[in-house]
Amino acid sequence: MSTGKELTRWLDDLLTEIEGIKVRRQSSKRLRVDIEPDALPALLALLRGRASYVHLSAISCVDWPNEEQFELVYHLWSYEMQSLVSTHTRIPREPGVYLSVYDIYPPAAFYERDIHEFYGIRFEGSPDLSKFILTEWDGPPPMRKDFDSEAWVHDHFDWQDYNPEWLRQLIAEGGGIAIRADEQRFSHHDDGRDQPAASQREPERDRQSPNTPEQPS
Amino acid sequence: MRPENYEAQRHPPSHEYELNIGPNHPGIEGNYAFKLRLHGDQVIEGRADAGYLHRGFEKLMEGRLWIQNLAITPRICVPDPVPMEVSYCLAVEDLCGLRVPERAQYLRVLQLELSRFASHLFCFGGHAATVGMYSPSFWGIADRDLILDLFEELCGGRVYHIYNIPGGVRRDMPPGFIERVSNTLDYLETRLPDYDDLLFRNRVFVTRARGIGAMNQQQALDWGVTGSNLRATGLPFDVRRDDPYLVYDQLDFDIPTEDGGDAWARALVRRKELFESIRILRQVLERLPDIPGPIRCPIPNPLAWNVPAGSTYTRVESSKGELAWYVVSDGGERPYRTHVRGPSQMHAVQVLERLAVGSRIEDVAQIMFSLDACPPEVDR
Repeated sequence: MSTGKELTRWLDDLLTEIEGIKVRRQSSKRLRVDIEPDALPALLALLRGRASYVHLSAISCVDWPNEEQFELVYHLWSYEMQSLVSTHTRIPREPGVYLSVYDIYPPAAFYERDIHEFYGIRFEGSPDLSKFILTEWDGPPPMRKDFDSEAWVHDHFDWQDYNPEWLRQLIAEGGGIAIRADEQRFSHHDDGRDQPAASQREPERDRQSPNTPEQPS
Repeated sequence: MRPENYEAQRHPPSHEYELNIGPNHPGIEGNYAFKLRLHGDQVIEGRADAGYLHRGFEKLMEGRLWIQNLAITPRICVPDPVPMEVSYCLAVEDLCGLRVPERAQYLRVLQLELSRFASHLFCFGGHAATVGMYSPSFWGIADRDLILDLFEELCGGRVYHIYNIPGGVRRDMPPGFIERVSNTLDYLETRLPDYDDLLFRNRVFVTRARGIGAMNQQQALDWGVTGSNLRATGLPFDVRRDDPYLVYDQLDFDIPTEDGGDAWARALVRRKELFESIRILRQVLERLPDIPGPIRCPIPNPLAWNVPAGSTYTRVESSKGELAWYVVSDGGERPYRTHVRGPSQMHAVQVLERLAVGSRIEDVAQIMFSLDACPPEVDR
């Protein structure tokens, strides 16, 4: 589009008019916007309605426990202007409630449900926040930084020794499964340079049962 | 959901009943359940049920080094793993400001397009199988295997390549590889008319696919549809051209579209994309011998690599649609946060639930496969 540059300049001007907003152009097709959570739905409605950013590519959530905040990033793409706007906003970690943008962008329903499941953020007005992927999970939201997977496993599962008969037998034989040289797909060398000397080579074993110990001849 | 935890929903007496499809069924390449409410054989409501392939990759990646995560990325989507690797590498390169040598970029394009071709062949096979034609699925998987052979020769892995690393690719092509890729392409090109005879001019397939799972362009835009499914509604959008990465802006290719928006149009778009992939691959093969240079730029010690703090959003066009990574670094040697946006997160959930309403039982599997969704992308 020949007017692409003019449109993006128009967009830059428009965004600087909104208060409490920080715009940073990262490249010709990437724009980073930082905005207060109160103003974000209005900005998204503006971007979709007046600036042709019709495609919500994704909503990403980042947990910042030291600052007691969740960062929500809305990635919007415009098919006409061919540029991507990443809108960053930060909400307090407690109580972790924010507004849904489902009425502006229907694809948000999936991402909000996903973030609700993995971070525990409740989106007011989202059509369906029921469990989806972690259907049988009743622990804390697992993607939060203070959730330690290893500690959880340690606390909730018992260790089990796995030492079946066939494994002990295999170890007693010296371990591993012998593959005959002519069955190895990637070890054919015409010059035989990489092959061990004939005396060091594994004696050929029965093809049907490679694990059976050799019969003394 | 485990069977012992399943509770049948109690409905008031009516002609409606519930049918649980999945998690193993012909409609999708993986484990993914779809719960239907039916009136006779007509679908009244469909609810997607994911989670059978959840492995917590995003959490896992936060605990591993930047370079260790390369082994995880291709496992997110088995039929089309290369775009996952490449897009993750693009994100790390963007954060570090690395400049990838031109030869490595062409090698990546070579790999990406081969993967797209293989994935589309897989999709044809699956789509045809949902209407009861099994020959195309045998053919598609057999021809896909030829491409997997090429991958095996290039990097040792047939499905999980782990060939890309941030800054370039792991190794150069083996001697004679260009010729063998070229021969395989010649063969595959001669096979395409056979696919036309078998599938695209087959009355059974055409009659079953036409008008099934139709959406118009406005609906597709509202529902976040991307990739071939969006192009099947007439919008010529492709990340490769409109948000170019690697060397796609130097390559000559068209973006095929169709207007129908139904399963038939989606299959036709994929069929045309095979020709475009061959066209791109031929250009790459022609230019590769003349492009000298290293195959990767110098990177710091990967085991003690502190990627500069920042965040980036990188997008590529996978065979299924728009694939993107949002990667955040806090300056440490592990990613602070990685978020993958797979195209199937839209296609397999909201789009599928909406398209299934009003269709008949026998077409549900076809709608699912014609969207070419990949369940592990939803579950991650």
